[in-house]
Amino acid sequence: MSELQLAMTNTAGISSVMSFWVFVGSNAFRRPRELMLKLGLVVMVVGFLALTVAIGARGVDAGRFPLANLYESLLWFAWAVMGGFLIMQRLYPILHLGWLASLAAATMFLYGSWLPASQHEISPLVPALVSYWRQIHVPPLICSYAMFFLAGLSGLMQLWEAGRVRSLAWSLGSLMLGCTAIALGTFTSVDTFVLQAMFVGGSIAGLTGALLNLKQVMRTRVNAERAELYDEVAYRAIMIGFPLLTIGIITGGLWANHAWGTYWSWDPKESMALVTWLSYAAYIHLRIHRECSAEKLSLVTVAGMLLTLLTYLGFNSLGFGGLHSYGRFK
Amino acid sequence: MTTAPTLSRPAQTSPPPGRSRLAILASVRLTVLLLALIAAVVLIGAWCPQEAQVGQQKVIDMFGPDVALELSRWGVTDIFHTPLFLLLIGFLTVNMVACSVQRVFPRARLLKQPMPLLSEREISRLTVNSELALPGAPHTGIARLAQGLKRCGYQVRVETDALTAEWGKLGRLAGTVTHIGLLTLLAGVTVSSWTGFSGFQAVPLHGKLTFGQSEHSKLWIGRLPDWSVRVDATRREDYESGDPKQWYSDLSVVDSQGRVLKRQEISVNNPLSYGGVDIYQSSWGLDQLVVSFNEHVRHLDLRQMGKVYAAFLPLDEETMFIFSVHDQVKPLRLFAKRPDWGAPRLLAEIPPGKSIKLGSVNLTYREVVPVTGLQYKSDPGFPAVIAAFVFIIAGAMLAAVPHRQVWAHARIANKDDALTGTAGTSGENACILAVGGRSAKAGRAFEKSLSSLLAKLSGDGQTLAGETI
Ligand code: HEM
Repeated sequence: MSELQLAMTNTAGISSVMSFWVFVGSNAFRRPRELMLKLGLVVMVVGFLALTVAIGARGVDAGRFPLANLYESLLWFAWAVMGGFLIMQRLYPILHLGWLASLAAATMFLYGSWLPASQHEISPLVPALVSYWRQIHVPPLICSYAMFFLAGLSGLMQLWEAGRVRSLAWSLGSLMLGCTAIALGTFTSVDTFVLQAMFVGGSIAGLTGALLNLKQVMRTRVNAERAELYDEVAYRAIMIGFPLLTIGIITGGLWANHAWGTYWSWDPKESMALVTWLSYAAYIHLRIHRECSAEKLSLVTVAGMLLTLLTYLGFNSLGFGGLHSYGRFK
Repeated sequence: MTTAPTLSRPAQTSPPPGRSRLAILASVRLTVLLLALIAAVVLIGAWCPQEAQVGQQKVIDMFGPDVALELSRWGVTDIFHTPLFLLLIGFLTVNMVACSVQRVFPRARLLKQPMPLLSEREISRLTVNSELALPGAPHTGIARLAQGLKRCGYQVRVETDALTAEWGKLGRLAGTVTHIGLLTLLAGVTVSSWTGFSGFQAVPLHGKLTFGQSEHSKLWIGRLPDWSVRVDATRREDYESGDPKQWYSDLSVVDSQGRVLKRQEISVNNPLSYGGVDIYQSSWGLDQLVVSFNEHVRHLDLRQMGKVYAAFLPLDEETMFIFSVHDQVKPLRLFAKRPDWGAPRLLAEIPPGKSIKLGSVNLTYREVVPVTGLQYKSDPGFPAVIAAFVFIIAGAMLAAVPHRQVWAHARIANKDDALTGTAGTSGENACILAVGGRSAKAGRAFEKSLSSLLAKLSGDGQTLAGETI
């Protein structure tokens, strides 16, 4: 790693942690709130720019497009989460969501930095990955995952602002279990069936619990206007993520067709991306149908976030293989 | 008159009477159910290794023989060929056709319809609305608003004292375009599976690829080509570490009389196309080692051992010759192994074409025969699939464009309008501009952008007391 790349990656990582704390602080203190929100935003912009330079420098160091292993894809993910948030906050007054976006980015940094050193090094590509299709296929996918993450976070905020505290707790529980399963799968050798059961079981139980508790409203917490805002933010984020995922899946098919002569082979990762795609198609149609409450739609965004997590990180860390094994390193 | 804008979600208009049976098939509720079920089935297919992709052994390795048998019996290990999955896809197709014809495609007609003009009252009932007082006559107020809207990218239609404006009109076509794409995809895939063929053959150097063995059980229409493909040369390129970087094969397409119709070098990601058939480099290896002992030629089968290929030749009960080659150009390394030796001993390194003396025997390294793995396929539905891809991407991108509509109406201000007396906005010099609009997909963002536009507009005017957007 070159000095520049290292310095910029560290700056970005530290900025994401810092912006998290500044945003959290802005929620805690009443007085300088506006100022702190702006400060948090500035720190995040700094982090975003630093990460842009870091990724660029890594590309120059490697002499190739810097998106070939899990570590690099995590950098991109953090970049896209920050970038997506910066775009969304221009459309909507959602700076107080900043702490969640920073938290997501910082978590990805942390996860990336804990990966074995071999992931941080710049390694040569296997024949299958030597192709210009790689840079067409992967970035839209990572960016779509980031947008779906933002949508899921907005969905969680929507539940909070709509006073659905219990549903929120259940949703958070399922997310925690999912993340724990992925962390255990990455860094320990816990049996994969246990981890799969933990992820899938946790998701199903958590979402069912959240759905059953949707009628429980804590009236004092309700802020209808903000709830509505988050509902729309989640929708818009999905409507940006959905075409990106579509492009990612289709260019993946075109690449496979170019390289192996078949555009679809039901590879697990491919199938998983299709599941995510179908789920968001279901979300879009639920919305068109206009009979679903905003809170139910928020739960769908949370379910979508779990599926995104499973597609992006879960599959490799929970013991699945396939053509897309770049995420494996154990 | 203040309207806190709410995201109104009016109920879907019900289909015309007399179509109720079709209505179930065309309902979006069924769509959501089908999408969810298909997603669940695909999820199971992603989780459980599929026999068609990785073979039965992998399933047994993962679950043990008993569970594997059970999974196989339930169709889980080949889920994408189960009647259940095909049935779901069939239902989805019917659902999509019915719904598209009934509800989605007619949307395209809306593009041509101009927006109707609305009165001041109607405007005040829109989800986002506001009234503001501006200096000057009504038509100047309208003209200024029109200018502002145009700068924001709206298409504006002005009718003396009223206007309508639209942004992102094409976004309304999203459903239509996406569904045309999806239906085209289904059509393309059907054509391919009825008339296409594919297969894999490992071809040694100077050998021929023919299509007789291809998987064409599904070949309902069409026939297999009578030409074949000869491998003239094939080689591997490495990184310095010795890991493979690229594989190449020089191919000639030859007809039944042996005439060469086309020549091309292929590599991974760079296939040969001829007569509707694509031929891909998919793997590579060394097949045979050719050596001679005192002009006695022997072909030895090679086995891959990590980065090298090895052949084994027992000399007597105790001694074994091990030949190790890396590629076609590097020297052959000859080892001997005996039980009482800890490790095999290197006897000699022989460059290609050279000989060494082993006692009375002259050992010559003649050549190593590489084998190239060629994947081939003919996919007549592919153009439709490509067209479908374009439509689906375009449709999904259009869906991200929020459609926005604005109406405005202006009239001369009168005494009842509680003007707070800013210069230039009193009496007959002022007009009252009623502005309203909606955006189903992005109500809040629309509201924000419209209110900042109006704030700019009323820089020298004012919004009426108590009026907020
Ligand atoms: C299988 C049956 C399906 C039916 C009956 C159906 C029905 C509909 C309907 C009624 C609309 C609303 C059109 C409008 O209001 O303009 C729509 C929009 C849409 N559909 Fe489907 N759909 C189906 C499958 C799919 C699938 C598999 C996808 C894939 C992703 C998809 C993607 C879309 C998109 C992107 C829109 C546009 C949404 C928007 O304008 O915001 N549809 N669909």
